[in-house]
Amino acid sequence: MSSEAIGKKDLSRRDLLGLTAIGTATIAGLATLGGSLRLVKPNVHFEESTQFKIGKPENFPEGTVRVFDDKNCFIFSDSDGLYAVSSICTHLGCIVSLTEWGFQCPCHGSKYNPEGHVIGGPAPRSLEWFEINQDVDGSLVVDSAKTVAAGTKYIFT
Amino acid sequence: MHSRFYLSLLLISSLVLMMFIGMGVYREMTSEWKTYQTEYKNMLVRNAEDDAARKRAEKLEIGLRQNYVASLNKSDRCMSCHIGVENPYMAKADQPFTLHSGDYIENHPVDKFGCTICHYGQGRATNKKEAHGKGHTHWDYPIIPTKYIQSACAKCHDYKMLQEEGAELVVKGEKLFREKGCRGCHKLNGVGGDLGKALDGIGSKPRAYYAMKHVVGEHTAYNWIKQHFDDPRAIVPTSEMRVFMEEDESDLLTTYIFSIREEEMPSKYRFLKNIVTPPRDGESLYKMFCVACHGSGKISVYDEIFDRTIPAITNPPFLRSADNKTIKNIVMEGRGGTQMTSWKTTASGLKEEDVDKIVEYVASSRTYERPEPFNYLEFQTNIDSGMRLYNNRCSYCHGKEGKGGNRQLGINLKNSTVQQVLDPEFLALTIRDGREGTPMPSFGGDGLGLSDQNIADVVAYVKTFGKKK
Repeated sequence: MSSEAIGKKDLSRRDLLGLTAIGTATIAGLATLGGSLRLVKPNVHFEESTQFKIGKPENFPEGTVRVFDDKNCFIFSDSDGLYAVSSICTHLGCIVSLTEWGFQCPCHGSKYNPEGHVIGGPAPRSLEWFEINQDVDGSLVVDSAKTVAAGTKYIFT
Repeated sequence: MHSRFYLSLLLISSLVLMMFIGMGVYREMTSEWKTYQTEYKNMLVRNAEDDAARKRAEKLEIGLRQNYVASLNKSDRCMSCHIGVENPYMAKADQPFTLHSGDYIENHPVDKFGCTICHYGQGRATNKKEAHGKGHTHWDYPIIPTKYIQSACAKCHDYKMLQEEGAELVVKGEKLFREKGCRGCHKLNGVGGDLGKALDGIGSKPRAYYAMKHVVGEHTAYNWIKQHFDDPRAIVPTSEMRVFMEEDESDLLTTYIFSIREEEMPSKYRFLKNIVTPPRDGESLYKMFCVACHGSGKISVYDEIFDRTIPAITNPPFLRSADNKTIKNIVMEGRGGTQMTSWKTTASGLKEEDVDKIVEYVASSRTYERPEPFNYLEFQTNIDSGMRLYNNRCSYCHGKEGKGGNRQLGINLKNSTVQQVLDPEFLALTIRDGREGTPMPSFGGDGLGLSDQNIADVVAYVKTFGKKK
């Protein structure tokens, strides 16, 4: 008997069939589990996108103040750059309006300074600041799902 | 050996399961949109103008994109492939990366409108065949061919704006629809004839509404309508539709047809500022409701589709013997047994004042004086004599007892219009003076020699056809 034949005999004793069957089943099971876990995170959501385009950087020269009513957001541009501030009052969700000294909530009188920090009224937190990115086509995209620290300003070309 | 059998079964089923998982993974990895997005990304990186742009391009995430517009209830994934639709750098790129044509996208941003609200197709599909939904994909509203796309503009915009801002095709289509007399047979908003189907919401009808058997090419509603305009009987063999199209008229009308939609856009999307009411004078109304069959109305024509003669209604001989009251009676009651339907308000939705305008327009080419009155009521009539005369002189064309003669040369005299709508005076005048432009000759004094008394007898006999025996 050659050594090869002995090897085969050894393998068959350890039950080649049993090993491969259980091994394959384990791999298949893990792959199925992995596939199922993949479903937990959906590709798309049936809700309005939190990102919205606001146009090219050149549309926001220094000193610009723009109100995006349907997105509840203010866009400002000053010498330090561009920034987006939420217009949703942190108290009960009313829409604040822009005043000479900052923001004023019409519902319960919360007041915010131009940076969005609370200076009066029942509001518990400052207004949120949103992340601004530049899209591949050059237009600016505000993401209202991503908040950044107050004072974060962006410079785009 | 049992364990051996079960172990083999486990091995085989595990292998089959792995094969399916492998196929799933492969499909996920090589999906159409993923390939396109990778290509788009590479294109952006390659053509970046500066480092910042290249960095942005490299950061582009590859993933399924969905644009959800709550107020329109639309979720469109078109941008998973048409990813450059808002990117001005893509103006010269090939599909699917091309920038949207024109300046539409500036006033109709994708995140507010989506895609399928204008273009239709299956917004949630993730490959081209299912998304465009043409042919045999069983999607009811496939993508609109570009040549009919202006039908979508009319969902929100008024015709004045469409005309001025570059959607003149649908405006022309609407005008053709009015002037080709489509509503002579088709009701729209409750007004029109009833030989054809009502056209309300026709643009939103699902695929199953159409019999696609004879449609050439993709089996879509667009092709059905277009080919049906070009040749109705090629698509519906039994169709009685009378259309005569020149050049691009069928495309224009198809565009208009698909602007007649069931669904209404939310008011904040609609842009109706200058609603122009189309003219409602006699001529416009005549065109809208009569012209499809009667044409100019100057001559009688034998129509192969209807298999009968469509009478001239604006030629002087007819207008000479028929006074406005008679014409109005015919229009209001229709002519039983023919394609001429009743235009009473209850039947056609047309107002009586509109019928008056049409009658006035038809009668406007009356040049002759009214003929000398016959004064039928002054005669003592003899029905037996009338019957003998009728059988001798009239029955060859009009048939025994008025049932219609050989090859329908003469009209059927038993029909309700002759029996109930037309007064004996009109019948007597027609027999005495004949009807120019038709085979009906003049039987009066100088013609074929019937005396007035004879004619009165014949009229009296003809009038008995309508009585129940």
